[in-house]
Amino acid sequence: MSATPTPPGLIDITIDGQPIRVPANTSVFDAARMHGISIPTLCHLQNEIPVGVCRLCVVDTGARVLTASCVRPVEAGMKVVTNSEKVLSARKTLLELLMADHPSPCARQQHSGDCELESLARAAEIAQPRFAKRTVARGLDDSSLAIAVDHDACILCDRCIRGCDEVKNNFVLGRMGRGYAAGIAFGLNSPMGDSACISCGECMVSCPTGALTNKIVVGASIVAGPDAQGFEAEDLLRLPIFKGVSGTFLELNRGAIVKRTYKPGEIICREGDFGSTAFYILEGSAQVSISSPIAHVKTAGGAKGLFKRLTSSLAPREDDARDDEARDRTIPIDASVDLSYDNPVAELGPGDLFGEMTCMNFYPRSATVRAASHVVAYEMLRNVLDIMMKNKTFRAQVDGNYRRRALESHLRGVPMFADLAPDFIDHLKNSVELQRYAPGQIVARQGDPADSFYLVRIGFVKISENYPGGELVLAYLSRGDYFGEIGLLGGGTRTADCTALDHVELVRISGDDFRQMVDRFPSVRRGLETVAEERRAQNQQRMQTVHNVPIDQFLSQGLMEAQSLLILDLQNCTRCDACVNACADAHDGVTRLVREGLRFDQYLVATSCRQCRDPLCMVGCPVGAIRRRNSLEVIIEDWCIGCGLCANNCPYGNINLHPFEITVDDLEHPGRKKAAIKQKATSCDLCTYLKEPSCVYACPHDAAHRVDPRTFFAEMLGQGQGSQK
Amino acid sequence: MIFDDLRAIQLRYGFLPKPELESLSQRTQTPLYQIHGVASFYPHFHLVPPPKADVRICADMSCHLNGAAELRSDLERAFSSTSAQDVQIRDVSCLGRCDLAPAFCLNDQIFPSAIAAGAEDLIRAAVRGESLHEPHPAPARVSCASDPYSDGEQYGAVRKLAAGKDWDGALAEMKAAELRGMGGAGFPTSMKWSLVRAQSGSDKYVVCNADESEPGTIKDRFIMTHLPHLVIEGMMLAGFITGAKKGIVYIRHEYHAQEEILGAEIRRCYQAKLLGKNILGSGLDFDLEIFVSPGGYICGEETALLEAIEGKRAEPRNKPPFPVQAGLWQKPTVLNNVETFANVPQILARGVDWYIAQGQGGSRGLKFVGVSGHAARPGIYEVPMGCAMREVIFDFAGGMRGGRQLKAFAPSGPSSGYLPASMVDVRLDFKALADAGSMLGSGAIVVCDDTTCMLDMALNAVRFYRNESCGKCVPCRVGSQKMVDLLARWTRGPLPESQYRSDLALLDELSQAMALTSICGLGQIVPAPIQSVLKHFRAEVDAHVLQGKCPSGICFTASRAGEANRVGIRP
Repeated sequence: MSATPTPPGLIDITIDGQPIRVPANTSVFDAARMHGISIPTLCHLQNEIPVGVCRLCVVDTGARVLTASCVRPVEAGMKVVTNSEKVLSARKTLLELLMADHPSPCARQQHSGDCELESLARAAEIAQPRFAKRTVARGLDDSSLAIAVDHDACILCDRCIRGCDEVKNNFVLGRMGRGYAAGIAFGLNSPMGDSACISCGECMVSCPTGALTNKIVVGASIVAGPDAQGFEAEDLLRLPIFKGVSGTFLELNRGAIVKRTYKPGEIICREGDFGSTAFYILEGSAQVSISSPIAHVKTAGGAKGLFKRLTSSLAPREDDARDDEARDRTIPIDASVDLSYDNPVAELGPGDLFGEMTCMNFYPRSATVRAASHVVAYEMLRNVLDIMMKNKTFRAQVDGNYRRRALESHLRGVPMFADLAPDFIDHLKNSVELQRYAPGQIVARQGDPADSFYLVRIGFVKISENYPGGELVLAYLSRGDYFGEIGLLGGGTRTADCTALDHVELVRISGDDFRQMVDRFPSVRRGLETVAEERRAQNQQRMQTVHNVPIDQFLSQGLMEAQSLLILDLQNCTRCDACVNACADAHDGVTRLVREGLRFDQYLVATSCRQCRDPLCMVGCPVGAIRRRNSLEVIIEDWCIGCGLCANNCPYGNINLHPFEITVDDLEHPGRKKAAIKQKATSCDLCTYLKEPSCVYACPHDAAHRVDPRTFFAEMLGQGQGSQK
Repeated sequence: MIFDDLRAIQLRYGFLPKPELESLSQRTQTPLYQIHGVASFYPHFHLVPPPKADVRICADMSCHLNGAAELRSDLERAFSSTSAQDVQIRDVSCLGRCDLAPAFCLNDQIFPSAIAAGAEDLIRAAVRGESLHEPHPAPARVSCASDPYSDGEQYGAVRKLAAGKDWDGALAEMKAAELRGMGGAGFPTSMKWSLVRAQSGSDKYVVCNADESEPGTIKDRFIMTHLPHLVIEGMMLAGFITGAKKGIVYIRHEYHAQEEILGAEIRRCYQAKLLGKNILGSGLDFDLEIFVSPGGYICGEETALLEAIEGKRAEPRNKPPFPVQAGLWQKPTVLNNVETFANVPQILARGVDWYIAQGQGGSRGLKFVGVSGHAARPGIYEVPMGCAMREVIFDFAGGMRGGRQLKAFAPSGPSSGYLPASMVDVRLDFKALADAGSMLGSGAIVVCDDTTCMLDMALNAVRFYRNESCGKCVPCRVGSQKMVDLLARWTRGPLPESQYRSDLALLDELSQAMALTSICGLGQIVPAPIQSVLKHFRAEVDAHVLQGKCPSGICFTASRAGEANRVGIRP
């Protein structure tokens, strides 16, 4: 004890026999620390209010029980013992209890070898905990792009909770349940990725174990070239777009973002290329364009029969209008602007973000971006983009750009909205809400009250109905598409499930705005009612068909998916391949028919487009060029960039890429043209320009038929009467 | 108030649908995690739609001794083919009907003295959608020696104190009477009140802990039924003496009838100007309201109870500061048990001499005790403090049912541990029971006859604590589960002696750590039942672990398999 009288505001105590004088209200833990006596802890962090829940920092103050030193203020004359046998043994038991349930080595221990629990346990020489292990796993949560959650490694120290609430004021995280079943929960116990979490990373850097760890993104870090600059986390933190993000977290994500500089004319990304990054322009301007010819594959010349060679060529819609072709004047791309059909070129400048779809969902690039001046841009992987997108400032900027530049063309892209007055569009620009959905998240459920209308901004939304035995996909909607009008115009309830397939962003128009719009513009109402009626009728017809065909095998082979099948009657077929050759002849030597496929009874279902009920080919088209006609057949619009994703997606191998030689601007030598091979996707067109499909016409054995599976197989399925055979 | 909002939603939908919680969060500017945190903490709230018949059978102590496990397996068999949307059968922690065991709860209505056939009929009625009515027989008028007003005007002590305003005198009388807390801890009441009185400021609270949830504890139920005026008067006196202007009765939600009785008495007091502003023209104000607990044994811990009133998860606070300094809303708070409050008017109305004369052998006053388990006449008895336990068990409660032998008794539920029959002459007194290695606690006497397996009883007690742990601190949250695991293994078959020895050492280490490092009394007391059984009934435990034999023929049977890990709380 100090011999001098204690000055006011200070308190004298002893810790392990050592006299210590500290300001009043100092915790015993801090008093010890300030004098070089270290007390172990798991739940206490210097920048958070102590909670005293792990109990590892217990010390003996001479009371009946030990006391947690982090929450215990010093009292005059207190005699504290931090290292008696009693204290050390109690601490060791606590560590052993925690280690019994700890998935050792946890993710943190594996990544960086610094799990605080495992380090303390090692120091206390706990090798094999003697207590029984937890029998029911608490599970992993893999839903966040940036942070991995392992509830089994969580020791409920509340450090993440205090980081989220006290340090960052985000109020997303808390305790749930109680007793041994207690755990941490995001919001109403949502998966982290679906919660209001902004990926600031504070919880993760607060976590002492592997319960919350930085997710290592597949593909690790961006390949750094000579033009790429790495930089320190502090540099990033100075940018407003990283406001509120934990520095340690950015440090961990260092490899996932680089700063690049481009000379004028240099290509930043090329349409059709696969990638995994997004770009954020800091300085300079860039030109975004589509270099593929805006046209579709047209086959002609066979009018006089098979002896004259058929040729395919590229034809824009002005020259060759097709049924149900889109009339849009804009092409949706992966940036905050849309391109015009007539002149697909636009300008991007500082503050613009592009490549979101490629970065979040790994779709091919939708357009080519070239530096128009000296450009400085950040290139980032999706964990960094996710952090940025969850930042309110950045989010507001991106949303603002979209509202200002693309929302109008999207609204105008909805055919019946063409007559909206400019003042109403302006009103909508301010009143619409931009919403994000994680993969698998349900936007609206069949039967829910319908209260809004949606435009798809990014990603794909699956519209489906449930029927006995499975799900019927009505449509995949992509950028520029819309849904929700049937519910609003009809009975006020949703008629189908709407589910985000990937990372989806939607523009939500409230029911009130929608009704106001419909009331004010009669043409909008008429247009919507027609569309809604058509969709209802189509859906009903589809459901009807499905109800009538309960045959599992038929369904499971995907035959029921088809609107129209090419079938080969194997009893007649001699495998002469005349059908295949005829198809090749009809399509510039590229056959769209392969004589292989599923067998059903005596029939071989040849590989050719089935115009499926669940058209997987449509998922992922970066420019939204593949879609259905009203008759449900697939049509590929003029702005196909030939990336080949739809061909990969088709489970039946029925979409082909047709190469064409064209001349394009030589990007390396501005002003000059050069020859290039460009591809366009095509699928079976049923030879609509001929009387009957070439393959069927060519078959010398009456074995090839183009049929509607429902009526053709009706007899075999024990339904209907007769066949078309 | 978050619980009111949640109750309103649950009343409307039968559970708490997510969209409703989201709009509640918007409306009240409460973060979602806070709403989920409390909704998932309290057993009263359902996050998923409940079945048509939500059957919960009390699994603790007295009900366990009276065939709760058999009732559960009978009902499980009867409804084995019924869908989970119709019937779900689960355990529940003590419902406070220990004298009418076994009790079960069906759609939040409590039915005591359940027999399988009767329960089955009720469950089928619930599945058919018929409404259920909790039995509430009108209480017979009981005259208690404790009631100073059995034949005169009530609230005499309040009238006297409001007129005389002699606060120090009243405190001196309480001190002379040596009144101590009746909820379990036995802290001197006059000291607690003096500490609150000494705090500056007028924002102070008086809180009555009517959340008795320790298995076997039923005395407060009786006091609130028959002597509600003494509880309310005690709280008024606390308000006058300490300067608090607001009182809250925190009552467990299973006590529907008592909530009504107290509510009626409070309304009567407001009408008689005994509550409210300017009480009886004295210039003193005191308001009183009832707070219905959303459930859980932990809410009986004083600081957890305060957290619950504040609308949070009922997790005990680190102490100091104590409630007398920083209690409800961080204001000085008098927090006492129902019986403690009911004792104060007895002392002030009848005087210290009368109070001292009621006890025996130097103990003071009268005590309400609940006797349950294998007693011939289970019930609540008003006994002199200091009388022998033998008197309570054999004279008041009629000894063992069916003329069997007393084997063990718990002086106050699982927390007091078990004492062998040989110690039945111990006196019902704070010090005498503490000297015997037990405690007076809350007077929840549970008696076990010679058919009882003591290891089974210890496991039953630890399971109760495990189910009721709030999970805030490591020793209690993890330790209680590991202790269940350890004891359950002992009831599953013989172990090598070396294993048993190391298990015993491990149990001792765990007991030490839990008793020394847990934040609150719950975690600290978890080891008491098994330690008392090891001390007094060691041979029985040895027979289980070393020979794989249960001398009472209770463990190692199919009906008990898996019971240890049945969790009473919602999955």
